Amino acid sequence: MKGATMKPGIRLKPALLFALLAVSLSFQARAAGNVEAGKDVFATECAECHSVREGKNKKGPSMFAVVGRKAASIADATYSDPLKASGITWTPDRLDAYITAPKKLVPGGKMKYDGLASATERADLLAYLATLH
Amino acid sequence: MNPLKPGRRTRLSTLRRAGTCALAALGLFAAAPAAHAVPSFARQTGADCASCHVGAFGPQLTPYGIKFKLGGYTETDGKEGKVPLSAMIVGSYTQTKKNQAERPAENASVNKNLALDEVSLFLAGRLTEKIGAFIQATYDGVGRSSALDQVDIRAAHTLEIAGKETIVGLSLNNNPGVQDPFSTMPVWGFPYTSSALGFGLGGAGTMINGGLEQRVAGLSAYTFWNNLLYAELGTYRSLSPSMQSKLGAGRADDPGRLGGGTNYWRLAVFQDLKKQAFNVGMFGFNTTVQPDRNAPGSNKFNDLGVDASYQFLGTRKHVGTVNTSFIRERQTLNQLFDAGESANLKGRLNEFKLNASYHYDQTWGATIGRFLTTGTSDAIVYDGFAKGSPNSSGYIVQGDFTPWGKDASWGTPWANLRLGAQYTMYTKYNGAKTDYDGNGRNAKDNNTLFLFAWTSF
Repeated sequence: MKGATMKPGIRLKPALLFALLAVSLSFQARAAGNVEAGKDVFATECAECHSVREGKNKKGPSMFAVVGRKAASIADATYSDPLKASGITWTPDRLDAYITAPKKLVPGGKMKYDGLASATERADLLAYLATLH
Repeated sequence: MNPLKPGRRTRLSTLRRAGTCALAALGLFAAAPAAHAVPSFARQTGADCASCHVGAFGPQLTPYGIKFKLGGYTETDGKEGKVPLSAMIVGSYTQTKKNQAERPAENASVNKNLALDEVSLFLAGRLTEKIGAFIQATYDGVGRSSALDQVDIRAAHTLEIAGKETIVGLSLNNNPGVQDPFSTMPVWGFPYTSSALGFGLGGAGTMINGGLEQRVAGLSAYTFWNNLLYAELGTYRSLSPSMQSKLGAGRADDPGRLGGGTNYWRLAVFQDLKKQAFNVGMFGFNTTVQPDRNAPGSNKFNDLGVDASYQFLGTRKHVGTVNTSFIRERQTLNQLFDAGESANLKGRLNEFKLNASYHYDQTWGATIGRFLTTGTSDAIVYDGFAKGSPNSSGYIVQGDFTPWGKDASWGTPWANLRLGAQYTMYTKYNGAKTDYDGNGRNAKDNNTLFLFAWTSF
């Protein structure tokens, strides 16, 4: 039994490392965002519906530790059925696509946001979100 | 809540008591702005007060707050068990430059008055998935009476028209303009609270400026297309005197019966650009009023307004707003003229407001406002005013401190407080700059310092 419980853990470790590496490479691949500027973007574009505090869910879920999180995974927050069924993990790429055009990535989703067109602002925002953990 | 102050409204107050002259009760007194702040909305949405309100305190709405209102007060964070109840208390100190000629209220002094202005209870929030309410009951600590105050019950549904998100809704309310989402209508305009023991914005006001508040019931249909275009059309009926009495407004000040063609309309263009927002619009209210419900004869009022707002929101660290409105009222006073209670058959009354505010860190606020009322002189209707002129003008400056109401504030969303100092300077009052009452009182003698503590929970 001991061996049986250990094996899945051993198998998960490379997967976890791979995911973290992918997230890291993804950040390096895109233009480096400015964290302070990203904080301002968050205040302008996101803060009415999202908090950065852990466990504080508004109309939308908390953005604390959002990077790398599975979509629709906070038990205390409410999500649309399409988002629940999306299977998305919020890698920087997926977040970037979602923030660019939410309804394109998740048709039928409930987030009332038209999207952020500026690639620079999105990069800044993602850099800021990556600091929230 | 009742803005009438017997000390400065001799003839018109008498007419109100006699209950024979609806004009006095209706259009000729500017309403005192009402204070509103509803933390139950914050508890329902999970949002902080600053999300919906400029300066983290009601009632000036941000674009987010505008959309929440148009959505029927139904938006939620998805959690069950929220109780849509709130309470509000406003206390104040009022000091005028010179003592008033008469006590402004039965229990007040001629100057330097401490007052418990209002204690309000709100049923405010989501009632069903598509129905929400803003219902206020108020104890008026100055008039020492309780009454049903502002009411706005909404039903809203979101659909797509021409591929764009569209809200369609209904509002059942008791005050023309209370359902409006922008901060330019008289009921929601600056000053957002003011002294019930001071001099208001002058002795004359248009019909849409509180002339019918809490004495009518109205139903309007509205739509908000693509977060861009807002349109509304509605009608109003007068409440019976007995109903007004039951609701606490009393029957002595019954304005009379509204004509069947009474209508309210509103058009606006709105843009939420996140860092900034603006709206430009027009509105109208048209009615006839039969002052004596048992005798023929009525007076006609046609109010037409234009308004605009601009908000610089940025990162919400520095927020600036500008609001303006101009209302032009055409009066056709058939009943009053025939009864010898007006000198003119027709008259006009104009109200202009312009104000600008700055808030730092959603905590420290400063606002300056200009108000200007002008109109046709009428020695009978405006008896007691200099040369029968309704003209008043002046400036209002306000500084305020709102310590809580932000995302990480102490006690949020239960603890809410605004402390403010407001000073109103009159350049003209009831027709003149000097000796407006014939007893040597000048407009500037009415200059009023108003210190207030406004809390809600």
